Amino acid sequence: MRGLLKETRQGKVSKIRIKRAFALDAVEKSVVQNKSFLYTIVLYSVTLAMFVNLNSLHSPLIGFIAFFVYFMINAVFLGNAFFKKENAFFRLMMGILLLIMILGFVGWLVMIIYNLDVTMFTLVLAISTTFSSLLNRRMKRNSAAH
Amino acid sequence: MPPIERGSTKLLGICEILYLSLTVLAFYLLVASRTGEAHTVWQVLHPAFIPTLFVTTSLLLAILFISGKTTHKMLLVIAHSILIHSLFSMIFPAGDLSGQQMILGRTRLVFDNTVLYNWSVWPTKTIQMFIFEMFRGVNLQAALSTIFARMLSIDVFYVHLSLVLVLWGVFVPIASFLITKTVSGSERAAVLSSLLVSAFPYTIYFGAISVPNSLGFIFFLYSLYFMLRHLSPSQSKTAYWMVAFSVFSFISHYLTGVMSVSLLLLTLAFKAYAEEKLPHSVTARASLLVTFLFCASLLPLSFIYLGLVNTAAAPVFSLDKLYELPLGEILGLFLIGELTYGFDIKTIILVTAGSLLALLWMIYLLCSLKRNPSARYRTHILFLFAAFVLMLIDYRILKIFMTRLPLNAERLWVFRDLIAAPFVALAVCAVFSALETSLKIKSMPAKITSSLMTLSKGNFLRALSLVLALNILIPALLGGWITISLSAAYTHLAPLQTTWYELDAVKYIDQNTKEEYVVIGDIWTIYAGEVIVGINNPRAYYFGEYNKTGYDLFANMRQDPSPQWMLLAMNYTNTTTAYFIVTEPRLGTEEFNRVVSKTKETLTVFHITGEGKLYVFSYKEGQGV
Repeated sequence: MRGLLKETRQGKVSKIRIKRAFALDAVEKSVVQNKSFLYTIVLYSVTLAMFVNLNSLHSPLIGFIAFFVYFMINAVFLGNAFFKKENAFFRLMMGILLLIMILGFVGWLVMIIYNLDVTMFTLVLAISTTFSSLLNRRMKRNSAAH
Repeated sequence: MPPIERGSTKLLGICEILYLSLTVLAFYLLVASRTGEAHTVWQVLHPAFIPTLFVTTSLLLAILFISGKTTHKMLLVIAHSILIHSLFSMIFPAGDLSGQQMILGRTRLVFDNTVLYNWSVWPTKTIQMFIFEMFRGVNLQAALSTIFARMLSIDVFYVHLSLVLVLWGVFVPIASFLITKTVSGSERAAVLSSLLVSAFPYTIYFGAISVPNSLGFIFFLYSLYFMLRHLSPSQSKTAYWMVAFSVFSFISHYLTGVMSVSLLLLTLAFKAYAEEKLPHSVTARASLLVTFLFCASLLPLSFIYLGLVNTAAAPVFSLDKLYELPLGEILGLFLIGELTYGFDIKTIILVTAGSLLALLWMIYLLCSLKRNPSARYRTHILFLFAAFVLMLIDYRILKIFMTRLPLNAERLWVFRDLIAAPFVALAVCAVFSALETSLKIKSMPAKITSSLMTLSKGNFLRALSLVLALNILIPALLGGWITISLSAAYTHLAPLQTTWYELDAVKYIDQNTKEEYVVIGDIWTIYAGEVIVGINNPRAYYFGEYNKTGYDLFANMRQDPSPQWMLLAMNYTNTTTAYFIVTEPRLGTEEFNRVVSKTKETLTVFHITGEGKLYVFSYKEGQGV
């Protein structure tokens, strides 16, 4: 009887785990699909929120939330565009590294050409978002063609 | 990875929870050790930290040897990696003294929009120098820190202190994992190498300081990963990635960029060699050797060409050391480099043991693969061996045959150690597998117990000792190694770090001065100033670290504290207020008391902090001499 209970409990735990994995997978899929540019619009909104936060609210909490959303969506875009064959963890991490590189490179260029004030910073975020979003779209189209 | 069994999943879960609790405890101990006045981390580090770290690391190693999800293990390794690289940032109020504060001084100018349309804080007299300044790593790091600080809406000080330690803590273990998996295919060795990359004192140190060179090492490691992938027959698109990461490594830091480019050329040569129809022909081997020599010469030659763009004295080849130094010292430099000067045997062993083990294992692998030329990873191992030897050769050229180098040749040890880590992991895994084979089990405790039950009494003790070696001795040994490496990585001898009262004085001046001002102080005051207001800031001027005028003004004020030096400083910097800072621990009590009492006669005391250890004197335009 006790063994049966134990097995049932373990079965429940593994079901929850599978459900969670499917949920994460579904979220990733939805971001990659980016239907009607929903996630691109979210990214532009987050960029705008950061701009407003920097100019008037100055809240690190809003900053952290916006940072998290911005990084996750863009990293999923980039990870799926270039490292689709890797497992989910490495895909995400490589996406984050690529995003850091893009932000660093665009920021470096903008800083050298002009400067990196709040407006230029917002422009850097917008350029990076556009770039990763377009790459994601292009790679998606390519894989569909294959 | 072998499939996970129910028994081992439960054990793994318990171990993971225990490990995470210990990691949280270790972080708490670091926070508890935080101080505002110390020379080294060892002066104030909580006595329980090192034992906790040892237990945590050993437990993590034991977890890595138990079958389980690679992703979970990598997350645990990342937490550990961040922990061991965060000692400076968590214990000192402004991180490690000098290097990273100098970079923050320049980053702050960008963050505060202080110097508009002129990102270079050094004067650029020629077009070559302008281009050189443009590609300096400090620009990329300034841009990254500023972007992150603006995204999070926090001060750039916090982002700068944690930028490299977080990026290193997260991405170096992952890169080491990917490299090891590419050269061996073994996930167990790959996970182990992601942890063992922290067993080298120099890699720990460079992961703990926020400087462009550290960023460069991260991108170098990824360029190396894509080079290895490019050597695999079916990988064609990776060429773009290895070029992209090499370029980024170059923008991050000159040294890592040149090394990436050297290895990039070597990769192309190896790829051509592997695709050669007659790879064993003399021509093919000779062309590979010539390319290797060319790649090895790139770094020393690039330093010579620095003279074309840099006005400072350019490095030169020289035989001076060979003529001037005694034979024993030259031999010491050749074998162990800088370690020959004043370091103890423990440090020498810690710095060289890992790379020596890696070298031996590489040779062993190459010898064993020689019998099988078509072996899958042969080219990869041969390439990494060549890269490793290239680092050894370049280090000796820089150390013995060159002078006036703009950086320490010892930075090349980081490249050497980053390449060595996967091979140390492979060697450890080979020992582990040999023990497992002799026990005829997989590394699962449930199986081990059942295996022991079936043994005869005679073999029981032998098997038990093997089980202990597998599950306790190896993790404890490696855990001990990483812990001792940490003690060698964080220096035991250093000047007083930037103190809380130096930071307080700089903040107080900045908050209570409306007009533009200049501060005369020693080099330590300049470092504190860099952290809060930046370097050469026209509104709050602190002289650069190498500025002779600033140094002379401080020396004159110390000898003869008179307003005339303050006026001179104001005229020099176009400011209307001048401050003079003296600190007791920097000058010594006797000298400090003398300077303070003499300065009080001619200048007004503006602020006293640090329980009387720091005095700020002020002088305003029109106050009269």
